[in-house]
Amino acid sequence: MSRRLSWLLVLFVGVGALAVGATRDRGPLDPGDRIDAISRRIACPVCDGESVYESRNPASEAIRSAIREGVRAGALDDDTVIAGVAEAYGAQVLLVPRATGLDALAWALPVTAAVVAIAALGATFRRWRAESAAIGEATEEDRRIVERLRASADDAAEEP
Amino acid sequence: MPALSLNLALGNAGLLITLVAASVGAAAGAVALIGGNRRAVAQTYLFAWPVLIGTVLSVVMMQRALAQRDYSIEFVQQVGSSTTPTLYNVAAMWSALEGSILLWVLVLAAFTAAVALRFRARRDDPLVAWALVVMYAVTTFFALISFGPASPFREGPGVPIGFDGPGPNPLLQNHILVLFHPPILYLGYVGFTVPFAFAIAALVTGRVGEGWLLETRRWALFSWGFLTIGILLGGWWSYEVLGWSGVWAWDPVENASLLPWLTGTAYIHSVLVQQRRGMLRVWNLSLLVATFSLTILGTFLTRSGIINSVHAFAAGEVDGYLLGFFALVVAVSIGLIGWRGDRLRAPGTIDSPISREGAFLANNVVFALFAFIVLLGTVFPLIIEVVQGRQTVVGAPYFDRLSMPIGLTLLFLMAVAPVLPWRTASTELLSTRLLWPARIGVATLVVAVLTGADGWAPLLAFGLGGFAAGAALRQIALATRRHGWRGLVGRANGGMVVHLGVILLAVALAASNSHTHSATIELEPGREVAWGGHTFELVEVVNERDERTDTARANVLLDRTKVYGPAVTTYLQMGMTIGTPSVRTGLAKDVYLTIDGTNPPSPDASTVVLRVFVKPMILWLWIGGALMAIGTIMSAIPARLHRRPTDPTSVVLGATDR
Repeated sequence: MSRRLSWLLVLFVGVGALAVGATRDRGPLDPGDRIDAISRRIACPVCDGESVYESRNPASEAIRSAIREGVRAGALDDDTVIAGVAEAYGAQVLLVPRATGLDALAWALPVTAAVVAIAALGATFRRWRAESAAIGEATEEDRRIVERLRASADDAAEEP
Repeated sequence: MPALSLNLALGNAGLLITLVAASVGAAAGAVALIGGNRRAVAQTYLFAWPVLIGTVLSVVMMQRALAQRDYSIEFVQQVGSSTTPTLYNVAAMWSALEGSILLWVLVLAAFTAAVALRFRARRDDPLVAWALVVMYAVTTFFALISFGPASPFREGPGVPIGFDGPGPNPLLQNHILVLFHPPILYLGYVGFTVPFAFAIAALVTGRVGEGWLLETRRWALFSWGFLTIGILLGGWWSYEVLGWSGVWAWDPVENASLLPWLTGTAYIHSVLVQQRRGMLRVWNLSLLVATFSLTILGTFLTRSGIINSVHAFAAGEVDGYLLGFFALVVAVSIGLIGWRGDRLRAPGTIDSPISREGAFLANNVVFALFAFIVLLGTVFPLIIEVVQGRQTVVGAPYFDRLSMPIGLTLLFLMAVAPVLPWRTASTELLSTRLLWPARIGVATLVVAVLTGADGWAPLLAFGLGGFAAGAALRQIALATRRHGWRGLVGRANGGMVVHLGVILLAVALAASNSHTHSATIELEPGREVAWGGHTFELVEVVNERDERTDTARANVLLDRTKVYGPAVTTYLQMGMTIGTPSVRTGLAKDVYLTIDGTNPPSPDASTVVLRVFVKPMILWLWIGGALMAIGTIMSAIPARLHRRPTDPTSVVLGATDR
């Protein structure tokens, strides 16, 4: 099989498998998994940075029960349950910064940094390319010098 | 009781010896170097011995005080207890701030002595002497903290006869890893002081070529290896002790250890570009300065108590000192780099982004970005509090979301970079060399889909993981075909083994994060409960009591084969309860049992509520970690035997820039 064909096959199978795996319908989430997913997004109100999912503190137990109730009662989406908890305990229990106000900086700064970094890298490469173009191509004479040195070094290396 | 005051007196004396020797060593060395007194310069290394002796004396006295439960010392009053078992009593030294700093001083003194010993033949070399001066200066700072504001040898208030202390935090006396995780992490943290010291020495002496890099390559590598193992042991400890079945919570203290790891990882890659091409000098110096100063900043963030953390076992009064030292390190380093700007400008260019050096640069940009995000997320609550005066938490979901694309990019780079030649690469060459790795990647993806994996991010991680593993295996196979088993060692192939370890870790993390299932189940004796393809039956609740703890253990028959015993332990001295999970470990998945909540079940309880987690591939995290350690050792073994003389190599120290 030619290499081009092999690559096409690899790409085709890869994209196909990804599409199948990523889009298949697993049915509704298990309630336990849903409680976990929600409790990972809420901070334990009294215990220094742990999430409700991680914490064993009674306060977290209480929130976990509240989430369990919400899930059992058939709340339509996770955000509704989380909004309920945030209303009861205050917004400081939210583990993910919001996308508004000063909090939005937590999201905007990384994106800005990424864009700046990539742009800087691109600019550096452009500058380097310009510099090496200014030096010019290697001449026949340059190549002969390198060849001669390589050959003599190889001879030396083959000696015991 | 004369023995009691002996610990305090000799402990303080030891620290004083360290402080005086280190500060005099730094000052005398600097004066000799500036004045050009060659004989005095050659004696700079001698100060390393009293520094080490003083610190060892202090540590021995602290251990003796802990062993004797010497309650005349305030620190022992805080962390000592007659009921603490011997091993945890040894570890009690680093269970609070003062003892942690003492451990830091010990590791630093040991590294300083190791540098003095290793380079004693070149003791009159100004580069070595300046590096020692920097080591002494850093030691002086930590000895000063340890002797002053964070003294572990402070006389305690009088205690009544029969007094017994609370012992270390119960979390720090219920798993053997407490003995290894902090010292190994410190070996990594503190170890980066050595390359940092040589970097500063190179700047001061103006010998900013590649000499100092080669001198410190192995020091940086070992420090990086210890930092890696230390972080992974922390994850293991979390998994075995904390009861939420996770290894990483993006807690500020964890982030503080990750930050220098990220910049350190960038450094050990980009240093290769400098060794090979003489480029990126300022960048490499900056990465080392960043790595060293981030260890100080991390210690400040986590020890000052300004950021809340579950790890903050050791809060204290040293924040001003640490912040001041951090500012000093950054200012001096930037000043020196600016001063040597002319010499740091390297000749040469990177011709093509599609080349080995191009890939290293991309790697560096990604790691730097990663470090920025982790730092931002860690200090963000501080920013909000200062600006708006309200409390916020930035937690795991934030870091998970942002680190996911970074992790995938790194996996992709790990696949492509190893097959890239230096200078430039053609598409022809890439398509030849990458075909097999790509086939392995797609095969991995197909297997993952067939075994039920879903979600595009974890699937991409599996596929890219296979792709990267294919590239690493290709390099290893080529090297061993060319040079036999000898081809396995050396920087390049050791690095590939480390890559395989990282890939296993990444794949295991992706699998366990996205395919963990959990449930809360109520068990009654004699009634089997089925969940998630497993059966659980409560056999009995037993109570074990000794003078230190009261443990309620629920023995649960799992899958009708073996009994597991998750427990809740009450530490009587502190009145604190700690859950201890019980885990069935397997190659494919772990079943993790833990008692829900912190209330111990009573032996006659009719029901016990368990939290059960089924987590795939956890074992592979530890296997990946072991591979990373093995690879690090392999890459430290020289591979000179098969170097072609015509291969370009970097200059050795003294050849050009002395």
